[in-house]
Amino acid sequence: MKRRSFIQQLTLGVGVLGFTAMPFWLSRLLTPRANAEAHRHIPLPGAKRSRAAFLQACMGCGLCGEVCPPRCIKFHKDDAGKAANTPYIDPEHKGCILCGDCMNVCPTEALNVIPIKNVDMGVAQIDRAACYPWVDQGICGACVSVCPLGDTAIDFTFGNFYRPAVKDGCVGCGQCVEVCPEPSLPIRIVERSEGKVARHGVGFRQLDKWQDGQRLKY
Amino acid sequence: MSWTLIQRHLNKLRWLVLSLVFSMLILLPFLHLYQTYAAAHAYDLLSPMEKTISDSMEWLTKPFIKDPATDLNQVKGTTWSATLFGVKVSDPLAVVGHVAADKQIYIPFLVTALIPIILTMVLGRVFCGWICPATLLYELNDNLAAWLRKAGLPVSRHKLDTRLKYLVLIMGIIISALSGITSFAAMYPPAIIGREIYYAIALSGFGAGMVFFLLTLLFDLMVTRRGFCRYVCPGGALYSLLGRFRLLRIKRDVTQCNDCAKCNVVCQFGLDPLRDDFSQECNNCTACIAVCPTDALSFTLNIKDQAFQGAGHMGHLHRKKESESE
Repeated sequence: MKRRSFIQQLTLGVGVLGFTAMPFWLSRLLTPRANAEAHRHIPLPGAKRSRAAFLQACMGCGLCGEVCPPRCIKFHKDDAGKAANTPYIDPEHKGCILCGDCMNVCPTEALNVIPIKNVDMGVAQIDRAACYPWVDQGICGACVSVCPLGDTAIDFTFGNFYRPAVKDGCVGCGQCVEVCPEPSLPIRIVERSEGKVARHGVGFRQLDKWQDGQRLKY
Repeated sequence: MSWTLIQRHLNKLRWLVLSLVFSMLILLPFLHLYQTYAAAHAYDLLSPMEKTISDSMEWLTKPFIKDPATDLNQVKGTTWSATLFGVKVSDPLAVVGHVAADKQIYIPFLVTALIPIILTMVLGRVFCGWICPATLLYELNDNLAAWLRKAGLPVSRHKLDTRLKYLVLIMGIIISALSGITSFAAMYPPAIIGREIYYAIALSGFGAGMVFFLLTLLFDLMVTRRGFCRYVCPGGALYSLLGRFRLLRIKRDVTQCNDCAKCNVVCQFGLDPLRDDFSQECNNCTACIAVCPTDALSFTLNIKDQAFQGAGHMGHLHRKKESESE
């Protein structure tokens, strides 16, 4: 009889704990983890560089998105697991204008107020096997003319008027990605360690998909 | 006389405040859309729908502001975290979850929760009853449940233990600390509502949070009355704890009470005003004051509830006892 009441107590305890934990796993269940393309999910200006530290600090209030003048800040919704409700920028849709409103409004330390030239959202990488001027002396220069940081971030290479080359001053705001007219998007924002020059050529998107399995952390 | 009259109509004021907060949550994303159009100087490039939004928001805000792109930044955010005229205000639950997830204390963020914490310590669970955007929907949902009950359907009949929500709060803190994210944000209805309305209007559409919120509505409708607020909501648990020794509370005047028990029926939190049992769960919503036919219930300043005062003097139980003793 004593053992029976013990088992009953145990079942009740497990049931109560299960009930109280249910809202948390239910909400997590509704946001399954999905493989996101890293160059379409770049961090915000002033964000903590470590992805884990950023997720710890961000509490999903969405204020950064609500003050963004070009509305470039989007939020992970039902595709992100842990990262649900945290912000990201998709430069292929809209690039950041580096106004700094999101850093100022963020109540936590997820986004810190820092000078624009210290912002580190990544770096622009140009695929020299797909960019018009690099492939066949095309005339473009859209990325160079739109860059908010001017010739400290991107400029034409010497002697080749329309061939863009990214410099060290690039903070990865992604306006060049937004404005690039080439459909295969030879320019994109990548981690600084991946370099500013690539030669993927035709079909780099497929290659990219294959890489994403290993490269992605969130 | 006049103070009694005001108290009788506070419930209407509460509905007004709730609807105002909710409509602000709907209005703010539209204002943000208007801001982005204004900042881009792109009126001629907008679609007819966007032009309508831009025109109507311009008409709404023109008397108050000069430059929409910057001036409208004065009021931003949701009830989870907002910035109002330069003052940042956050939900205390956000701070608790953030400290647990981050494992360090970030003072500027703690300060943003100061105003709600002080208000809660004075006024009790007033956020739950008067501000929370989810409360509006939950109360309407409860009215629906009442109609269903009237139609003879056995809905929301069960009772659980109100202490469950404190366990949910503790569980959330543990889960936040283990997983390294503020896990309350994904399951706290006011946070979900504010965010999802913004997603739906300014971004592409509702996210997963709305599904979760609909599930809680179903839970309230089918299982227990106002079940999420009473048994599950971790924010409610935190506000209950903070407001345990609140200054403002409702008391029953035993000389006026006639034991009609309308207060017990109207109380969506399942409290027992008829037996002076308000406890820390009461959110000062004033529904019982509004419904009381003899004005026996009113606000008082006291940090403790009155002990049970016995049957109301206007009721037949008390009269019977009196006649027996005579």
